[in-house]
Order: sequence, then C-alpha cells, then structure tokens
Amino acid sequence: MRAEDVGLTAAEYNRIVELMGREPNDVELGLFGALWSEHCSYKNSKGLLKRLPNRGPHVVQGPGANAGVVALDDNFELAFKVESHNHPSYVEPVQGAATGVGGILRDIIAMGARPMAVADLLRFGRDGHSIKLLQGVVAGVGQYGNAIGIPTVTGDVAFAQGYAKNPLVNVLALGIRRREDRIGASTAQPGQLLVLLGQRTGRDGIHGASLLASRDFEDGREDLRPTVQVGDPFLGKLLMEVTLAAVHAGLAGALQDLGAAGLTSAVAELCYSSEVGAELHLDRVPLREPGLSAYDIMLSETQERMLLAVDERRLQELIQLAEPFELLCSVIGRVVEGSALTLRQEEQVVAEVDARWLVGEAPQRPVDDVLWNELSAPVEEARVPAAVPNLSVSLLLNVLGDADVRDRKPIYRQYDSMIQTNTVRGPEGEAAVLRVKGSPAGIALAVAGPARWAAADAYAGGQGAVLAALARLAAVGAEPLGMTDGVNAGNPDKSDSYRAMASLIRGVADAAEAARVPVTGGNVSLHNETDGRAIWPTVMIGAVGRLLDPTHPLAETWQQVGQYLYLINPSPLDWGGSAAQIMLDGEPGAMLRPDLAGAVRALSAVAQWARADGAVALRAIGVGGLGATLVRMMAAGRPELGLDMQLAESRGQDKALRLFNESPAQWVAVVSPDDRHSLESHFLERRVPVLTLGQVTEGGQLQIDERYRWARTDLLRAWRRSYEEESS
Amino acid sequence: MSARIGVVTFPGSNCDHDTLWALEQLGVETTAMWYRAEDLDHVDGVVLPGGFSYGDYLRSGALAAQAPVLTALQAAVETRSLPVLGICNGFQILTEAGLLPGALRPNRHGEFRCDWHTVRVVEESRWFPGLAVGKALRLPIAHAEGSYYVPNGQLGALFQNGEAWLQYVDDAGRLSPMANPNGSVANLAGVQRGSVAALMPHPERAMEVFLGSDDGRQLLGAWVQGVSQEAIHAR
Repeated sequence: MRAEDVGLTAAEYNRIVELMGREPNDVELGLFGALWSEHCSYKNSKGLLKRLPNRGPHVVQGPGANAGVVALDDNFELAFKVESHNHPSYVEPVQGAATGVGGILRDIIAMGARPMAVADLLRFGRDGHSIKLLQGVVAGVGQYGNAIGIPTVTGDVAFAQGYAKNPLVNVLALGIRRREDRIGASTAQPGQLLVLLGQRTGRDGIHGASLLASRDFEDGREDLRPTVQVGDPFLGKLLMEVTLAAVHAGLAGALQDLGAAGLTSAVAELCYSSEVGAELHLDRVPLREPGLSAYDIMLSETQERMLLAVDERRLQELIQLAEPFELLCSVIGRVVEGSALTLRQEEQVVAEVDARWLVGEAPQRPVDDVLWNELSAPVEEARVPAAVPNLSVSLLLNVLGDADVRDRKPIYRQYDSMIQTNTVRGPEGEAAVLRVKGSPAGIALAVAGPARWAAADAYAGGQGAVLAALARLAAVGAEPLGMTDGVNAGNPDKSDSYRAMASLIRGVADAAEAARVPVTGGNVSLHNETDGRAIWPTVMIGAVGRLLDPTHPLAETWQQVGQYLYLINPSPLDWGGSAAQIMLDGEPGAMLRPDLAGAVRALSAVAQWARADGAVALRAIGVGGLGATLVRMMAAGRPELGLDMQLAESRGQDKALRLFNESPAQWVAVVSPDDRHSLESHFLERRVPVLTLGQVTEGGQLQIDERYRWARTDLLRAWRRSYEEESS
Repeated sequence: MSARIGVVTFPGSNCDHDTLWALEQLGVETTAMWYRAEDLDHVDGVVLPGGFSYGDYLRSGALAAQAPVLTALQAAVETRSLPVLGICNGFQILTEAGLLPGALRPNRHGEFRCDWHTVRVVEESRWFPGLAVGKALRLPIAHAEGSYYVPNGQLGALFQNGEAWLQYVDDAGRLSPMANPNGSVANLAGVQRGSVAALMPHPERAMEVFLGSDDGRQLLGAWVQGVSQEAIHAR
C-alpha cells in the first residue's frame, strides 16, 4: 500500500518514517492516513480555530473534547456541538444525513449528557436533483432523530446552485448532564479494560474520513457509496440508554464515541487525551461477518459503537446493565502506562505506534499574525449589483416565494419537535426555547448560516453569521452562554478557497470577541468542491443561551389592534448579499460589513428589553429582511389582524432597501400605545436607534405608505410555496 | 386512594419517560415496567407509550406485540378487565396484538408528520369519566404510520359498538377531510374495546399551556380517574 492510497502526501509519509524510525506496515499506514486526514486532524484549519475566543465564565469544556460544555446553573451543564456530514449526504442522502444525526448525538453522549435537542442546517442547489437530495436528507434526519427520540427544534435551509454537487448537511445537537455525571475521554487509567459497546463491526464506512470527506468530488463518484455508513437509530437508542446509565452509575472511567475513522480515532484520542497507551486484541472485536482484516477493523466506520474504559471490578455491573437491551459489550483490550498503541490479532502484533504521533504530531498549517491580520482587510468589490428597483407589490411576493425565504414547515413537520416534552417554542420560531425539568432556568437555541453574505466577503459573512444567531437569542431575552461553529469550504490547497475559509473564521472570531461569547467547539468540512468549483464559504453558527424563565418567552408577533411596531437598530440602506439582491442580480453582491460595536450594544439592549415589562413581542429580522419578517409575524398572528406601515424613506428604491436588507442585529418590536415612550427611551439611552414602523389594524391586510397593499392570504400563499415549486 | 399505573418500556420506546412524567404531574403513583414483565398484579392500569419499539422494524408494533408483557396484558384484560391505554406506538402494538380492532398503516402522504391537531370525543367510556361526547382536545401527533384502517364493512360495527373513540376535526370542531393528517378511515384518531383504549396523538405532550396545550392533562386525568374508580370496585 502506498501513502496516496490512504490520502497522505509523500512529505507526510516521510515524516511518519522519521517518527517511527522505520517504514510503517499497511495497518500502521492506514492509522496515520485516517488520523492525519483533513477530516480528523483539521490540519488546514486548526491554526485558525485556535484563535477563536473560547473562554468565558460559563465554559466548563472548551474546544478539543467531543463537544463543548457550558454551565446552565449550579446543577446542570449543557454539551453542544455542530458537525457536518456533507460528502456522504451527496453520495447517499438518506443514510448520509441519518448517520450525521447519529454521529453528533454520540459526541454529546460521550460527554455524559443526554441529548435534548437537534438542529439541522442544510444547503442545496436549485436544480431538480437538488430537491430530490433535500427530500432524502430530510427523510434521513427525521428517520434517525424521530426514532431515537430527540426533538429537532430548530434549523435552517438555503439554496444556491453552487451547492448542487456539494450539498451541506450540518447537524447540531445539545445535551444536558448533571455536574456529577461529568465524563470525557481524558480520564482513562492504566489497568482499566477497554470495552466496546454496541454494533458489530462491519465493512461500512472504511475510508470515510480519509478518502470521502477529505478530498474533492469529481463527477460520477458512485464508487464512493461503500464509504458511506448505515445508521440504525434503534441500536443508537439502546446504546444511548446503556452508556448514560453506565456514566450515571460511575462505571465509565473514560468515554469516547466511535465516529470518523472508527476504532482508530477512538482509541488514539482516548489515549492521547488521557496520556496513556493501550493494547487492543482485534480478534475480540465482534464482527458482522468473518474475515475482516486488522486494517478493516481499525478503519471501519460502523455506527452505534462506544468505547469505555472500565475498572475490571465493575465490568460485571456494566454487562448486567447492557443485558436487558441485548446490547453487545465486549472487552477488546486494556489501558496501559506510556503512550504506545499496540494492536494484536491472534497474539501477533499487527501494529505498534505511539498515540501521540497519531494525534499530537498530525501536520498543521501554521497561521502567523501577519496572515491573521490580513484576513480582515476590505475586499475589492468584484461587481456592483444591478440597480435597485422601486418597491412594488410583486417585489414582496417574489421575495417571499424565493426558496431561501419560504416557510420551512414542509421540512420541519417531518421532524418530531416535541418529544421529551420540553419544547416551549419549536421550529416555527426564530429561536427554540426549551424548559429544563428540575431547574427553573431554561434554554434558548438559535442557529444561523447566511452564506449569501459570505459569498463576496467571507469576513463580513463570518461576522454576520454570529450576529444573526445572537440576535435570535436576544429576541427571547436569553443570556448567551456559548457558540459552536460549523465551517464548510472548498479545497484548502487552493489559495482562494483557503483564504475564504480563513477570512470566514476571522469574521467569526472578531464578532464572538466583540459580543464576548465563547466558541466552545465546532467542526470543519473542507473539500466541498467538485470539478474545481467550490461552494460559498459557509459557516453555521449555533448559539446557546440561558433563560431565567422559559415558560413565558416573549411572543414573536402582535396580539391587538393599535399596538405599535418599531424597527430596532435599522441598518444603512444597502442590500448586498440579501435574498432579494441575489434573486434580482443572480449573483451575490458584497454585504455591508456590520458595525460590530453598534450591533453588540443593540444585542444587549434588546435582551434587556425582552425581559422588561411592557414588551409585547420581538422578532429578529430574518431571511428576506423586514418585509419577510413582517409576513412571518402575520402568519403567526391572528388572521383578522393587519398592519398599516409608514416608511421613513421617501424614494421607492430606498423603500425596497429598507424592506429587504438583511443586516443582522435588527429587530421588530411591538408595544402598546402606552409603552411607546418607555421603549424609545430604553433604546435611546443605550444609543440604539429605533424607527417607528406603524400600527396593528383590523383586517387581514398589509399596507405600506397608503399605497402598497397586500391581502394576508396572498402573502401567506406566496410564502408557503412548497420546495417542489420553482421560484418565480 | 389512588391507582397505581404501570408504563411499559420496550427496547426503542422513547416516550416512556415523558409518559411517566406526565402521570406524575397528575399525582398518580407510577411504576416503570419492562417488556419482559409477566406479573401485572401490582398495577391497576397499564400504559403502552409511544416510540419506536424494536426500531419499528418489520412493521410498527409487530415485534413488541410478541413480547412477554403482551401475553400478561392479554390475560389481565380478559380476566380482570385491566385498563390499558396505548399511545401512538402503543396503539400500533395493541392492534398488532389483537387487543384492538383494525390496523395502522403508513400515512397516506408517505411522510412522518409532527403537528398539532384537534380530536373530538365520539363515544363516552367509563374508563374516561368526564370526557363527554363532542369534547374537543388539542393534541400533538408525531407518527409515520398512523393511518387507521379497518376492512370494508367493519367501520359501521366500530361505530355501533362504541369502539370508535376519537376523530380528527378542524379548529371549529367539524369533521373534515382537511383535518385528517394521515388518511385514517373516518378520521379516526383513537379506538377502544372493553378496557383497552388507544390513540395516535400524544396527550403526555399536552400537559401545560406553555407547551402548546394542556388538553392532554384532561384526557390522562380522566383515564386516571376511571382507573381509580375501577380499582375501588375491584377491591
């Protein structure tokens, strides 16, 4: 076997020989190929990710573990992370997406946390085949999440032809644990047994990490289908119950799930973070079929497996726990002193490597201050968008009908969003709100991934994604505890793609720093490139916040005639990168870079106001700008109510810009006539500008400037187009 | 005195904890039971909760219907009219086990569906005191195989025998094909036979106004009351 067969370069191979002091055998080479792959080692992104702010008063576990953890209160902690399953979902959409859900859930479980929410962040092309992929992916997400019993409470979907051959399937999971159930991979002790729990190992997913997820696509790669794993949510459920029960009973000395690069990654990560070695007997790994080689066993990505380090005297308890679930529980080796990883098959040593080489010595692209500082440099605008049209009745209807803007209900109604009975606000809202049984505090979860903004200016897009997610948390009055970032980009060996990814991360870093919200972990998926065409650099941000009382979150729409609407923190009149601009121009223009200081002021003023008396409703401006946000409010409100608006802008073009710009950190606020003054003074005292928009009226009609009128039913019909219908 | 209610967990059940929690909110004594349970003497009523028992492999409920607890359940229903409530997957298991008439087929549109729906009480039952005919309840559904089916010619008997229990209706309480989320015959959302009743919607998810509705509290509360009354009679 040669280095390139496992995805390694000649230089990397030479480094391996240097480390080992000899040539690796095939099994050893396979271990290096998997762990030094882009997917496992983050070799092109780690230097950038290190610069993200990751500390804060609530952080219990920062980056580097299976998931980040923040403290919710004195008793409970929240583990959460986003992960990608992009390449597999193109090759096999249903299974690719299903195992994406299963994989991130196991990361959460590996922190000793019980998963309590899932969010899906999806990107597809705009052709017919992409709609088929969408249907398959949604079926896959639902298939796994619904069956294992974790609610999918929020999500995000967008469409651009650049994703046609590289759809993005990022899944975020959030779990909860009691403080006393803290566990991770870094606490294994020499002498403990290594126990493999769950599915028998088969041939599925071999080379998933090294070859499928770490290389570009070329057309017609059906031959990659065997590299996609198959998910079994039923077994995932049993594995979850047994693992969490084992953690709770104190049976697990350390815990590591088997994900990308299977047993190789699990053992190496566990050894590396616990500073121990391990001896594995591969003939004790239960197999689905006889005849798997050591290489296959180590690299198989068979799902639904968990590795535990267990004290020998407590093994029987674990076996008894697993028995009623009929779950396989096999001792496959032992933790030893040192750092050597020794693999045996029928008492023959088949591989012997140092775990530190596999994990700690993986190549890393350096990022110096010079490069980092350049990343925020202004971009030269490639092209000036076409002229902005005047506002018209049809313009709003067209924007509403754009695939990015439409009602996501055809997707989320296929997901169980209510199981576990904590969902106070589900996918119909801008942010999900969950109660916590046993705590007065609640959880808010918001996601955003506006890649349109990053297409022409990745740095601005990175900032915008952070602000958009935090704006949704602020609207429910949540205090942000932490964020997770899912970075998706093209081939890092190409300077343009690398630069785009790096600028995107720099944007995330600067916005997170300004907002003082740590990034506690995340995921990077590169090589989202087919036939030399890369996707837009896309970052999916998931933000987790704490609510003092989750049972009465501030409403997202008006309730009564006469209530006043305000636009909080109105942005300058520019719609570069908005859904409306792209719909009209065909190509994304550059987004106006957010005013970070102003946005951060607004975030805190809005969160305070959301908790104040007199606040009737609040909604973050979402995809499609103010215009679409008002329609979403209308859809959520009583059908007999309408809106009479007066825009401050006098030119027809400016009206269109006001209605369709999507700048983050803008909100619509609703108050009773009596509370107008207190709203205005609240924001003005905090140097956040506000604009009066208008008033709630009788009659299901939206009227702007006594000139443009839409019936509520027409607006909702445009907004509720199915994804099978083309955009007009 | 209050009744003691058992909630059965099959491998893959995922609404068992939600159901136990909901019953505990009603102040009833609960006991978590395992699919291998063969002795039901210590409980006054049993809930088969929702979920994906055995992964819904083969057919929803088909494998769970073969579990030891179902044999015990069947005997207890026959000998002492043990009250049994099936929710979602529990409904599927009860039809597969022959304790309830009919079958649950894949939703007509072929998709899993999670949404709020209103159901109307068609028939009163002594196991649900206070749930009057015509009473409307707003409850969530979450299923892929909830299209209730009985062969041609059996539907009339279902209504005549008082076995048609709950129907999906629109917001105004009217029976309408538009209110049918899955293609169920006659919009049926729940059926009953003797001491056994089951429904596809999830009352255990509708225990608080802030979760969208507390109508589930009424339905489960009525059943708990019915079970308690039966338990007193039996003693």
